[in-house]
Amino acid sequence: MKTTERDAKIQELIGKYPKKESAILPVLQFLQKEEGNTLTREAIEEAAQKLDCSTSKVYGIATYYTLFNTKPVGKYHLQVDTCVPGFLHGADAIVDHIAKKLGIKRGETTKDGLFTLSTVQDLGSCATGPVIQVNDRYFENMTIEKTDQLLEGLKKGNWPENDTSMKVVSQCGILINDRTQKDCRALAFYKKNGGYQSFEKALGMKPEDIVAEVKAAEIRGRGGAGFPAGTKWSFLPKNDPRPVYLICNADEGEPGTFKDRQIMEYNPHLLIEGIAVSAHALKAAKAFIYIRGEFGWIADILETAIGEAKDAGYLKHVDIVVHRGAGSYVCGDETAQIESLEGKRGNPRVKPPFPANSGLYGCPTVVNNVETLSCVPYIIKNGAAGFKKIGVPNNFGPKIFGVSGHVKAPGIFEYPMGTPLKEILDAAGGVKGKMKGVIVGGLSVPILTAKEAEGLVLDYDSCAKAGTALGSGGIIVVNDTVSIPELALRTIEFYHHESCGQCVPCRRGSLTIESKLRDIVAGRGQSEDIDLILSLCKNIKGLTLCPTGEAFAAPVQAMVAKFRPEFEALVKR
Amino acid sequence: MSKKITIDGRELVFEQDKTLLQVARENGIYIPSLCYHEKTGPASKCRVCVVEVDGMKGLQTSCSVAAKEGMVVRTDTETVREAQRMVVNLLLSNGNHNCLSCECNGRCELQDAAYFLGIERPPFIIEERQERDSSGAFILRDAEKCIECGRCIEGCNRLVVNEVLDFGYRGGHTKVICDEDAPMGESTCVQCGECVQMCPVGALIENKYIGVARAWETKTVRTTCPYCGVGCQLDLHVKGDQIVRVTGTEGAHPNQGHLCVKGRFGYDFIYSNERLTTPLIREGENFREASWDEALDLVAGKFKQIIKESGPDAIAGVSCARSINEDSYNMQKLFRAVIGTNNIDHCART
Repeated sequence: MKTTERDAKIQELIGKYPKKESAILPVLQFLQKEEGNTLTREAIEEAAQKLDCSTSKVYGIATYYTLFNTKPVGKYHLQVDTCVPGFLHGADAIVDHIAKKLGIKRGETTKDGLFTLSTVQDLGSCATGPVIQVNDRYFENMTIEKTDQLLEGLKKGNWPENDTSMKVVSQCGILINDRTQKDCRALAFYKKNGGYQSFEKALGMKPEDIVAEVKAAEIRGRGGAGFPAGTKWSFLPKNDPRPVYLICNADEGEPGTFKDRQIMEYNPHLLIEGIAVSAHALKAAKAFIYIRGEFGWIADILETAIGEAKDAGYLKHVDIVVHRGAGSYVCGDETAQIESLEGKRGNPRVKPPFPANSGLYGCPTVVNNVETLSCVPYIIKNGAAGFKKIGVPNNFGPKIFGVSGHVKAPGIFEYPMGTPLKEILDAAGGVKGKMKGVIVGGLSVPILTAKEAEGLVLDYDSCAKAGTALGSGGIIVVNDTVSIPELALRTIEFYHHESCGQCVPCRRGSLTIESKLRDIVAGRGQSEDIDLILSLCKNIKGLTLCPTGEAFAAPVQAMVAKFRPEFEALVKR
Repeated sequence: MSKKITIDGRELVFEQDKTLLQVARENGIYIPSLCYHEKTGPASKCRVCVVEVDGMKGLQTSCSVAAKEGMVVRTDTETVREAQRMVVNLLLSNGNHNCLSCECNGRCELQDAAYFLGIERPPFIIEERQERDSSGAFILRDAEKCIECGRCIEGCNRLVVNEVLDFGYRGGHTKVICDEDAPMGESTCVQCGECVQMCPVGALIENKYIGVARAWETKTVRTTCPYCGVGCQLDLHVKGDQIVRVTGTEGAHPNQGHLCVKGRFGYDFIYSNERLTTPLIREGENFREASWDEALDLVAGKFKQIIKESGPDAIAGVSCARSINEDSYNMQKLFRAVIGTNNIDHCART
């Protein structure tokens, strides 16, 4: 690209944001692509100069977000997801096969510069694992044979088709549409099925009445915390002169979770209508969809859909910017996401102040999950009362459950809140082998033993009562072939890899637990290491700056405490 | 308006807009802290300054929680201590925190915390990180002692706005970087040393200070920097009759502890063998030592001669930037009133 074109592109990216520095991730992503998949020193200097910030800040960002390559990689960067769901689906065998076939170890590049092999932490393709991301493209449901075909194809410059098949069941029919239809993403398809009627209705309503309706629907935030969304909306200060920002949190990155992409990838207009209605209710003239950077093609789908909605006149009141993250789990935390959108490392902020009062650029901000916002059209169309016909008291509405791990038919299941776990697992073809345990809300929640999971009902309150959490609804089934110490090691590897590194208990705690678990799994551990891990978990919970500490301390503690004999059997006596 | 708060059973009076940590410190109650510094404010990152507050769930970082009327705070419960010990142990378990050989022994906030918490050595060791950056002209960066508190970064970016330091990488690999993770000596760092002054441990050390003195061997003498007319306040750390270290005086005008590279590191010229101790008069190619009377008589005589031959405007005076205001005033008075010319200027202006 010519220098003038390059400059123009950078200026175009900067122009999307109220503040220049917010464009730092898009500018680095653009420059990396321009420089052949590597962020060179010159590119970093160029970004710093164009964005008026220091080189150290840009380099700090380039090394914080994993999608930036500050060291050269091969033409095809093979990234195999070996996190818990990938591990359960056999990702390690794929890694070993590639390593053997190409004669390279993890992190190495072939001599011809064609391939680099890396293992990565969670690509959000849990039911379709093993998954290999090649540069920015996904290859799901991989087998050894398909991996061979992929490598042979790439050598010749051919990209095979991605196989995204998995079980899809929608009992509610609200969030998951008929993806077998080729035009399922198109505005015409969406409108044919009643799309944008809620928006038309909302336009005739006062913003405060929409907020009241959402509050009355008692919808609890689907990102994992389960905080009532309407209440969150009502925290916005009244009669404040500052602009209000709406951020749609599409940074789904918790292992076991792959629900938001189902909406965005196949039913994008539902989310856009949800944002259009919510922005009207919150009087937000600017909204951002913060989508994890790995989902590049889904971001493209969203941009196409936004273009269609804009042309159809649905977005006169709000400008929606699709902002691609760059590889960071912690940016799913609302304050880290705001920091990231402001063009910084994704370090969570100290609360208070809360985003409703001081969020993006110090302005009132609402951050809602994709699934939450996608429920808004249904609430407005059918009223709070209609919404509350679905689900159980205090846990209303539909919920997308993702099932991965040891079931016969992993996939995605839209059922009412309060559906028994057994019903979902049956829909997923039942457990493959004998169940040892189940993680029901994404990797951050305590594992339940098969016995504890008996009779479990999937809603926020029932899961809390059972000593775990519904979280994101990412269900990971583990059968009795799995070593729990190995599972615990994979768990902490993820969190140590993702820790923002800001506070000591998370930064050093995750590293220490990982080191001790690695010793135990390798047979080098001592029996006191088990107690050390438990003591660290106990003290880390509640001590970290953001919930990430709890997110690894709680599940690791549960794995060690509930399956202690397995750990004892591995340590030296 | 003063308000009341109870810390560890003591009822204390405090002024508006103070944090729990500030109120505790003002009243002699020690709460270990590492990432907090008066100049950069709360960071809430080290999590060592935690306390329990009645009515608030879980442990609170005292650096960030504002003191409020009627609050009841405990800094010494077993829950607090257990959390603090874990944090300090986690920090000590990595790197090389060897007080025996550390320049910061006796003035280290990590050492203070460990001593207070009764930690002799960490119960577990995780890794040894071997990274020392000795490329800086005046500053040694010792990553083995770094606790990633970020105070140096805040100082570099927010206080002196040199924007050289930042955090790079993440998780357990998080570290302080210069520019694009360049060695300090090859980076855009100007060696002002603000980072050294902000460092709570021995991770940033003045090269000249290494192996020279321990904190308790020195006394502090406050003075005004002789380099320029700003008048920065500095503390000379003196061992015997030798200056071994210079720091900016915290909380003093005009520099609030900041110094430039000359003020902080350029002090050893006073011990130079090449330093002039008497006036020198040139004779042919060489200089000879002279008394002040002889030198002044010579200069005065030459001035008179020039004025007589060419008038007072044939003489010009340039005052030195290292002069204090009073000397510069006298200099212009000498030129205007005694010599009789307006040819007077100042080297910082020309």
